[in-house]
Amino acid sequence: MFDKILIANRGEIALRIERACKELGIATVAVHSTADADAMHVRLADESVCIGAPPARDSYLNIPAIVAACEITGADAVHPGYGFLAENARFAEILEEHDIAFIGPTAEHVALMGDKIQGKETARKLGIPVVPGSGPVSDLAKARRAARDIGYPVLVKAAAGGGGRGMKLALFEDELEAALSAARHEAQAAFGDDTVYLEKYLAKPRHIEVQVLADGLGNAIHLGERDCSLQRRHQKLWEEAPSPALNENERVQIGETVAAAMRKLRYRGLGTVEFLYEAGAFYFIEMNTRLQVEHTITEMITGLDLVIEQIRIAAGAPLSLRQEDITFNGHAIECRINAENPHTFRPSPGTITHFHPPGGLGVRVDSGAYAGYTIPPYYDSLIGKLIVHARTRNECLMRLKRALGEFVLDGIETTIPLFTSLISEPDIVDGNYDIHWLEDHLSPNPTRLG
Amino acid sequence: MAKKETPEMTSSGGSFDKDLIRELAALLEETGLTEIEVEHEGKRLRVARGVNLTTTLTTGAGEASPPQPHTREKSRGSRTEEIVIHPGTVTSPMVGTAYRSPEPGTPPFVEIGTQVTAGQTLLIIEAMKTMNQIPSPKAGTVIAILVEDGQPVEYGEPLAVIEQR
Repeated sequence: MFDKILIANRGEIALRIERACKELGIATVAVHSTADADAMHVRLADESVCIGAPPARDSYLNIPAIVAACEITGADAVHPGYGFLAENARFAEILEEHDIAFIGPTAEHVALMGDKIQGKETARKLGIPVVPGSGPVSDLAKARRAARDIGYPVLVKAAAGGGGRGMKLALFEDELEAALSAARHEAQAAFGDDTVYLEKYLAKPRHIEVQVLADGLGNAIHLGERDCSLQRRHQKLWEEAPSPALNENERVQIGETVAAAMRKLRYRGLGTVEFLYEAGAFYFIEMNTRLQVEHTITEMITGLDLVIEQIRIAAGAPLSLRQEDITFNGHAIECRINAENPHTFRPSPGTITHFHPPGGLGVRVDSGAYAGYTIPPYYDSLIGKLIVHARTRNECLMRLKRALGEFVLDGIETTIPLFTSLISEPDIVDGNYDIHWLEDHLSPNPTRLG
Repeated sequence: MAKKETPEMTSSGGSFDKDLIRELAALLEETGLTEIEVEHEGKRLRVARGVNLTTTLTTGAGEASPPQPHTREKSRGSRTEEIVIHPGTVTSPMVGTAYRSPEPGTPPFVEIGTQVTAGQTLLIIEAMKTMNQIPSPKAGTVIAILVEDGQPVEYGEPLAVIEQR
């Protein structure tokens, strides 16, 4: 086991990792920028090292400074958390060269899944379902054949494309000809290349992701799924486990598919395979080779400490759990408390004047905030996570409502009022939402909040 | 580097005389001084305490040890506040290990009282096996050297003070 872990991150996740280290009896080193000298993750660590100026590139992304901090403190492992250097293969490699363990997968797997095209190709080869698509289609006859194989609706997409240009939708076969010619025309104009291909179009998908834990020795298990469909600009705001949309069969099936793929890959550590889910089918989006923000809800329903498992595996231990040891208990929801205006989502840095987190049975708050804490303007706006757990989804919603009502966080604007309003929306109560729901809900009448 | 454990000596060669440290620490208490530096049998020892050490420790939510005379290692946080005020303070541009001489056994780049020119090397900081020379930002006299040879330093830590003539 490691003697001393350096945590190359900040905020609530640095604190979360410190907690796991302490329970394992491992000493902790916090690193911080000059802007974070008073942060809770620095105060609670056994040692701390200031590694640079406030901009992340000078501190939390500064690889030489972090390696030097390991050298002067004698840390034998680094936990990267999420964001910053968590999916930087070069960082993992450099640590390895310095005989410092990277608490995560191999650099090779980080790089493989970091490249979205390679990642998708790898997933497909490993037997994970991907969005069906075609190769280049040069004429209408070929496009028709490909579209029938894929199944309507289909998107015609520019091979050289991006940003939605050269992308046309065909809901039915009689719309394909027009979509094909429009997409080719637009692709030629925008990219100087009229090569197009077809892809299955998902109108109202949910975002469902599967948590896996593997030991790099060929053992892998899944820890169920999380539904993260409530997003705004691809930022998850509300996550729940299990997904209100899956039944037991679907859960076991997709979980086992993903676990089998990870065994084949000989993946090591925690990983999340993200899918779009529509009409009973899963379509791979990407794989995250790190601890996720929303890992907490999986912890609540499985009773496992994912960070402790992650550290044990990084230290070379084989998986201590078999799939049959994993049971899912009740329901959990996480709300991301961001320092943002709940209507405009404009960041709201500043000083927290009063802070009183909710408590009681089944309530967990992961946060580095405290009364008097000044949120620096340099980093992301996540200041805490409210996680509630109960025996059923209904009880969980009632507990969430109660906990949100208790939360005192004054001096800055937060997303708490947004969650308070969401909890009485019939679609939320029914679990009837997709990845577009929140943006649709917010756009026409934003004043109904709070 | 802020350590919150029991005080621990950073020695750049062999062990220090613990009794001597205790004696010096008691002397600090007695005299109200914040720092004493002695040279003895080729070894240099500096014992210092921060004036607002107590505050630093109690604001830390970790296990705070009772206020007592500390080694430089422990009191650095509060020293930072004192020294940074001096306009001639040279701070560390990086995390690493400070060395006062070009090679082990050779004389230090500068001593207290050395006249330096702008750009003259004051010390070196090793980070990731790379030696980085830390130049004096201006001409003047070295009036304080705030790091030991072989001492770990963090970003922004005061290294030396140059007084302009």
